[in-house]
Amino acid sequence: MRCEILLAAAALTVSGPAAAHSGTGLPGGLGPGFMHPFSGLDHLLAMVAVGLWGAVLGNPLLLALPILLPAMMVVGAIAGMVGLPLPPVELGIACSVLVLGGCVAGGIKAPAWLALALVAVFALFHGYAQGRELPSAADPAGYSAGFVLATGLLHLAGVTIGHLNRRPGGMRVTRGLGGAIALLGAAFLTRAALS
Amino acid sequence: MRSALPPLLLLYAALALALASAPRRAWRPCLGLLAATAFVTITTPPPWHEGVFVGCWSSVAVTAAGGLICRTDRQLAWGLSVNAGLWSGALAAVTGAPLEPLAALPALGLLPAAAWALRHLSFPAVRVMSSWLVAVAVLAVTLACLPVTPGYLPDHLE
Repeated sequence: MRCEILLAAAALTVSGPAAAHSGTGLPGGLGPGFMHPFSGLDHLLAMVAVGLWGAVLGNPLLLALPILLPAMMVVGAIAGMVGLPLPPVELGIACSVLVLGGCVAGGIKAPAWLALALVAVFALFHGYAQGRELPSAADPAGYSAGFVLATGLLHLAGVTIGHLNRRPGGMRVTRGLGGAIALLGAAFLTRAALS
Repeated sequence: MRSALPPLLLLYAALALALASAPRRAWRPCLGLLAATAFVTITTPPPWHEGVFVGCWSSVAVTAAGGLICRTDRQLAWGLSVNAGLWSGALAAVTGAPLEPLAALPALGLLPAAAWALRHLSFPAVRVMSSWLVAVAVLAVTLACLPVTPGYLPDHLE
């Protein structure tokens, strides 16, 4: 219990503003596109959380989620690029971190349709934010390739960590990570709601 | 002038992933077809520049979709190779960089690795990577069709 309180306190201490989608004039190219998901904690945590949840849910979602996630992010990015209206994106992104982290923390084994629908909707928000920012100045195709690759790798990192579940006590570690992610998501949501 | 290398790299990577599930005996004829069709189209450049980029990215999507199929048969492998050769040669021709397809050839090195992964890994890495390539290609085609993306906002110095 004390460990969990310390973990929560640490999570709240390090949480900053939802930073993946601030600013404009991003540099183009494969490298900056690849690095971009690592520069914003909200996006990074959501992608890792999807992987962790996939490991909790097992097959066939272990395969379906890494395919669905980048695909729906691209749909969201296209919606962002053409300027389709979407509910407040920052709130959606913060919600995704909170809900996905909560699902991992609770070890929730949702039905496949529900898990796919949740991840698809959240991926739309993340993709939309990136689509609004996608640079047209230099090599946007390289940028998007790097971005999709990094997103997929973050997701697989989550799946890999989730493989700890097979070891004794591993599930506790995974659920602890999920709890920390959910706490950060709550912090993001508070900031997004107040701003 | 835009570089032809990124779409060529991804086109050859997609082809490698699609061929990985094809019979091993089909690999050499496929690579031969790729080289021959690329050589032919390099010597006869098409007149539409932007259309070739869009066509090449669409080709990446189609070829990567081939990698999502559990087993690529010989005819499909030949077709995908001819298609990749046509578009890579055309792209090299319109960008005036006939050696770019050679620079992108290392991406075909994925072929043995992907074939190994298909046989030995329980996780379907080839299909997942193919789906990522489809996603990137769809985004690239969309980008090519948009005049400007909303992310570009000039700062106070511009």
